[in-house]
Amino acid sequence: MRPLLRAHLTSRPANGHVSFIPQIRKLVFEYCDKWPSSANTRTYIKKHLEDLARTNPHVEIVVRQRNFKEPIIRGFYLNNREKVVPLNGFEVTGVQQKVQLVLDSSGAKIKPLKRRTVESTTEAARGIWSGLHVQETFKI
Amino acid sequence: MSHVPKRLASTATKVATLSTSHLKVFPPPEAVVGRAPSSSQTERTPSFFSAETWATLQPPNPASLSAFAHRIGLAKTFSNPAEVIQQACTHPSFVPFHAKHNPDQPAVTANGNLTTLGNSLLGLFATEHVNSTYPHLPTRVMKAAVSAYVGASSCASIAKDMGVGHLLRWNRTPNTPTRPAVLHADAMSSVPRALTALIYQHQSLAAARTFAHKFFLSREINLRNMIKFRDPKLALQETVAKFGRERPVSRLLRETGRLSNSPIFVVGIYTGGDQLGEGFGSSLRMAEYRAAEDALLRLYLTRQPSHLVQLPTSTFGDARGDIFSATTSPSPYTPVEMQDTEILYGSADKSGTRNPGARSTGTLPEDEVD
Repeated sequence: MRPLLRAHLTSRPANGHVSFIPQIRKLVFEYCDKWPSSANTRTYIKKHLEDLARTNPHVEIVVRQRNFKEPIIRGFYLNNREKVVPLNGFEVTGVQQKVQLVLDSSGAKIKPLKRRTVESTTEAARGIWSGLHVQETFKI
Repeated sequence: MSHVPKRLASTATKVATLSTSHLKVFPPPEAVVGRAPSSSQTERTPSFFSAETWATLQPPNPASLSAFAHRIGLAKTFSNPAEVIQQACTHPSFVPFHAKHNPDQPAVTANGNLTTLGNSLLGLFATEHVNSTYPHLPTRVMKAAVSAYVGASSCASIAKDMGVGHLLRWNRTPNTPTRPAVLHADAMSSVPRALTALIYQHQSLAAARTFAHKFFLSREINLRNMIKFRDPKLALQETVAKFGRERPVSRLLRETGRLSNSPIFVVGIYTGGDQLGEGFGSSLRMAEYRAAEDALLRLYLTRQPSHLVQLPTSTFGDARGDIFSATTSPSPYTPVEMQDTEILYGSADKSGTRNPGARSTGTLPEDEVD
C-alpha cells in the first residue's frame, strides 16, 4: 500500500465551474501619431477606449506611441503568453472586433480541432458498455 | 536543438518583468554609466547596479493591483483595494530585504499574520465541507482531502491561476538552522491565504467562506486515489459486522475464457440478498479483491447532495464583523447524526475493547455470559 505523500496532494483548476477568472491581464495599444494607417486606431483610442476600460476593469490598459510602425494591440495573459494583433486595414468597428477577440482569448496556442477526441476528467455519464453485463453474454 | 528556444522562452517568463509606466524616474540614474549623481567627489566609488534587485524593490503598479482585485471579484470588498492587496502580496521574507536597501523608508507591512489566520480559516472551511459532503470518509482520507484542497501546493497553484505573478514581493532565502528555505511556491501560497484572512477581517466569516468555496473548494481532487486498502476483504467483513448485517459472501456472476490466456471473472459480494459491490479480474482472487474494494468505496464515497449539505459555520450568520462581535440570528442548522467511526482493520485499541457499532446486533464471544 503506497503511502499518501503530502507533496502530491494537490487540486486541479476548474475555471468556470463556480467562478471565472478572466485570462487577460493587460492590453497595450501601440499606434503611430503620423501615418494614416493608424488613423482608425487613433479614433478608437480617443472615442471608445475609456468606455472599454470601464466595462473591463479586470484588464490593465496601456496606450503607447510607436512611431513609423503599423498599429497593433498586444494582449498579455495569465499563462505568460502574448497575443499581438495588427490593426491596420480595419475600420473602427473592425478595430472593436479585434479588441474583443484579444479580450476574450485565453492566451492558449491555437490548436487544430480536426482530430481532437473528447477529453474529460469525469467518467462517462451513461457508463461504458460491457458484454458481460447484458442478458446474454456478448459473443464475438 | 529544439529545447534551446523553449528553455529560453521559459526562462524569460520567469525573469521579473517590470512595467515602468508608474515609475517617476526611469531609467534609474544609478543604472546609467557616465551620468553620475551630482557630487563633486574627487574619488569615484565603484558603482554596481543590479537590475534584478532594483526591479524587486520597485513598488507594484497600482493599475495592476486594481486589475487583480477586479479579476478575483474583490473590487467592492475593500475600501482601498490597492493597499490591501499590496500587503497580501508581500511575503515576510521581503521585509529585511527592503530594509537593507531602503533604510530611510518606513518598513513595509507583510502578510505573515494574515497568512496564519487565513490558513486556519481555510482549514476550517475545507474540513467542514469535506466532512459534510462525505460523512463516511475515513479520517486519514479526510485529512488528505483537506490538504489537497487548501494545502501549500494548491494555494501556490491558485495564486498562479489568479494571476498574482509579478505582484508578489518576496526574497529567496536559503535554508538556515533556525528557519526553512523560502522558495517561490512558499511565497505564492501565502497570498490566497492572506486574501481569505483579509476578507474575514473586512467583511464576515460568511464572505470568507464564499471566497474559499469559489476558489479553493470548486477545484477538482481525486478522492478515489486517496483511499488505499491493505486488505479490503477483511475491512469489509469488519465494516459489515459494525453495521449489523450478515457476513459478506462472494459469488461468481459471470466468467469467460477460464482456460485461455486472458480470462475475465465478474464477482459480486453479497450480504444476504443485497449486493454490496462488484469487481472484475483475470483471476478469481483479483475479482473478489476488486469486489470488496468496490463495496468499501461505495460506502466511503457516499456523497451528500450539495443542496442538502449543512455547514456548521452557517450558525455564525452573515453579519459583518468577526464572529465574536457579530450579533444576528443565525441560519437554522440541524446537526448531522454522527456516523460510525471507521474500523481499524479489526484491531482492538489500547483498552482491549472492541466497538461493535450502533447498529450491530451480534454479540462478541467474550461478552456472552455462560
